[in-house]
Amino acid sequence: MLLEKYFDREVTDSERSLVESHLQDCPACRDALSSMGELRTLIKVPVEEVVRKEDFPWVWQKIERGIRFEKERGGWSSLRSWLDATFRLRRRVWIPAVATLLVLLFITAQVIFKKTPSSQGASVVEYLESPTYNVMVYQMEEPNVTVIWLFEGPEEEHTAT
Amino acid sequence: MDHEEIDMISRCQEGDQEALREIFDKYHKKVYSIAYGVVRQREEALDIVQEVFIKLFRSIKNFRGKSQFYTYLYRMAMNTAIDHTRKAGKQVTSSLDAEGSFEPSDEPEKGPERILLQKELEERVKLAMDSLPPEQKAAIVFRDVEGLSYQEMAEAMGCSIGTVMSRLHYGRKRMQESLKDYVKFRGQSRGASLPSEE
Repeated sequence: MLLEKYFDREVTDSERSLVESHLQDCPACRDALSSMGELRTLIKVPVEEVVRKEDFPWVWQKIERGIRFEKERGGWSSLRSWLDATFRLRRRVWIPAVATLLVLLFITAQVIFKKTPSSQGASVVEYLESPTYNVMVYQMEEPNVTVIWLFEGPEEEHTAT
Repeated sequence: MDHEEIDMISRCQEGDQEALREIFDKYHKKVYSIAYGVVRQREEALDIVQEVFIKLFRSIKNFRGKSQFYTYLYRMAMNTAIDHTRKAGKQVTSSLDAEGSFEPSDEPEKGPERILLQKELEERVKLAMDSLPPEQKAAIVFRDVEGLSYQEMAEAMGCSIGTVMSRLHYGRKRMQESLKDYVKFRGQSRGASLPSEE
């Protein structure tokens, strides 16, 4: 690591002296240093040559075009994100609203069906008034029975089936 | 940062495209060399330059001046270049005739054999770089191509100096392993070299 720091010129003065005196007596470290230099050349020189030769054709124009395109797209995307947000908002409102409505319907249905008069399916078929008896005829659906109700007076009722 | 640069950045933060042009004029070669150092392909590197400056214009508002502006920009360039290699990384080619790669053929002093060798060498370097993990690749490009100090690298890479040294060390080790024939050849032909001047 110290050799690499030396190679990268990141050593202190005392470290530099230490490495340089060591290098005089160590062929392995000299080779390692040489390899690092060669590797750097392999990596760096082609890049430098390419950069030197490059004339950056139309790069700035393309950047300007890209920025213009982003601005145009920005308008659309903000509209789209507003719509998305609205949809999400609607979804957030509608889901609990529908759930509440369903619960209310369920409760109401229970109340309505419980309060429906349990007339056992009886319906008035006919009502006749006469000087003697008033008669009411009921028809029951279940069981299938016809009820004839005779009214003798305000207090008396007779039933015949 | 000097006053001129601070002014340039704050104008750009307000959406001034002319200020972006000034930043482009000042830094496009550096951004290009980072991009080329990573992807080693001309057309792709030019696309990266374009992408980096568009991104910069969009996100420069987030630059708070806590670090040097160039390390902020280099980091953006490096991340964009590495994203490109990730997307295209699966298409690594071993062809020596890869279109757009470094072409030294317009240099009349070099013979055909030399040109071929150089082309092959460049392709091997590209393959070796492609095989590195992104962090090690970034460390090598920042140090060996751009010549950044460890401190500047730590800033650009968002890590400690110790991590920078470690990434550099392992990256170089892997590169030397991949290119050992070429490194050895060049080493023998030229002899030991002292640290190069940047």
